[in-house]
Amino acid sequence: MLHTNPPHLKYTKEHEWVRDDGGGVFAVGITEFAAEQLGDITFVELPPVDAQVSQGAEVATVESVKAANDIYAPIGGVITAVNGELEEHPEIVNQSPYENGWFFKLEEVDAAELDELMDATHYEAFLKDQ
Amino acid sequence: MRQTPLFEEHCARDGKIVDFHGWALPVQFKGIIEEHLYTRSRVSLFDCSHMGQFILRGAKAIRALESMVFNDMICLRVGRCRYTSILDVCGGIIDDIITMRLSESELFVVTNAMPYAKVSRILHRLCSAENVTDQTAKIDVQGPLSRSVLLQAGLDDIAPLKYFTVCRTQWKGQEIIVSRAGYTGELGYELYVPQELATPIWSELLSYPEVHPAGLGARDTLRIEMGYTLYGQDVDESHTTLEAGMGRFIDWDSEFNAKEFLLMQREMGRYKVRTGIRSATRRAPRTGYEVYCEGKPVGEVTSGCYGPSVGFGIGMAYIPVELSVPGTRLTAGPKEMEIETTAFPFYEHGTFRN
Repeated sequence: MLHTNPPHLKYTKEHEWVRDDGGGVFAVGITEFAAEQLGDITFVELPPVDAQVSQGAEVATVESVKAANDIYAPIGGVITAVNGELEEHPEIVNQSPYENGWFFKLEEVDAAELDELMDATHYEAFLKDQ
Repeated sequence: MRQTPLFEEHCARDGKIVDFHGWALPVQFKGIIEEHLYTRSRVSLFDCSHMGQFILRGAKAIRALESMVFNDMICLRVGRCRYTSILDVCGGIIDDIITMRLSESELFVVTNAMPYAKVSRILHRLCSAENVTDQTAKIDVQGPLSRSVLLQAGLDDIAPLKYFTVCRTQWKGQEIIVSRAGYTGELGYELYVPQELATPIWSELLSYPEVHPAGLGARDTLRIEMGYTLYGQDVDESHTTLEAGMGRFIDWDSEFNAKEFLLMQREMGRYKVRTGIRSATRRAPRTGYEVYCEGKPVGEVTSGCYGPSVGFGIGMAYIPVELSVPGTRLTAGPKEMEIETTAFPFYEHGTFRN
């Protein structure tokens, strides 16, 4: 299966992406590969706004027909927005993993943590080894 | 992995193949939810050729089976199907099976994939059963339009079949068995056909625009919405048939190996019973989740999923009888999600008796 992972995003080995929205705001979601592996997504639990999270902390849950999975913060920061649409329509994550299917937004992030993440080319190489 | 006669068909239709108790079977084609909802409104085909099929011949063989199942087999009328279980002496479920009286002298028995080795040994030794598994493909045709599709396909003999009845008929000159039964809660039929007929029938039925193939994933969510059990997950030898909630099917006038044990268990009344659970949200209880009552562990979830036709999380769990009354509030899983006990089925608009 060919995946189109946008080149301007950063990626984690846990198949999350981080997008720099400018002004110190970073959006987080799961990759097309992750959404496909999960299959039909049926439930998303989002973190509370204003929560302070550290890199690698469990921040959200995504459930599909098949299983429940935890989502970890790809970078630390403060949650400043969540995508409430997903509570009623979790299938958006399958339909639009990189756009309408974003999970939450972070601010006050650590630039060093951001640098640890993969770019699209590295992520695609990583996927090939899976 | 063993392949069913329809394996190539599944690959050609991009079925996502998984290992189900040693069988290579499609878990989905287009997507579990889509296939689930399609089955509830139109017609889906399921390849169930992994299941075991046996023919018992003669009153002696049928009576022998009766010694290990919880209801009467001798009196099962020709053309009728009956759900029962092969039990051990302690009431544990060796397999849950469908029996069908094909003629005065023949009982057709359909068994599950997981306990197949053990069950085929028992049926061979106890009943000298003929094992026809390797010569037979099983195709389930399920959905409210299934009758009209089979009639269009020329299977006129199925028209009078009522729920849980069976007939022998012909498909292009070859004998097949059709029962009106299923695992989805919808009007449906199960076709038992010679292996070489599997692909021709499968392809012909899929040529009708209202028919789509469906995989094990949708089969699972459909059966959970109906509260039906999956052998090896919800029922097995570690649970008695009473614990599994099959008490209403037991014929206490019949004589069988586990009867005394089960009578005593019923008398004692202190056991865990398979109970329906639901969540208030889309979050689903999952297999293996511990169930808690006021923080104390009281049982375990054996199946659970998001119910596509009901819109919330559903499942089944073994919990103490006294907590099993509908409406009991409990929690489950590592995040102690809130659940409430409820009666089966979760989905109440099934067309299976129409």
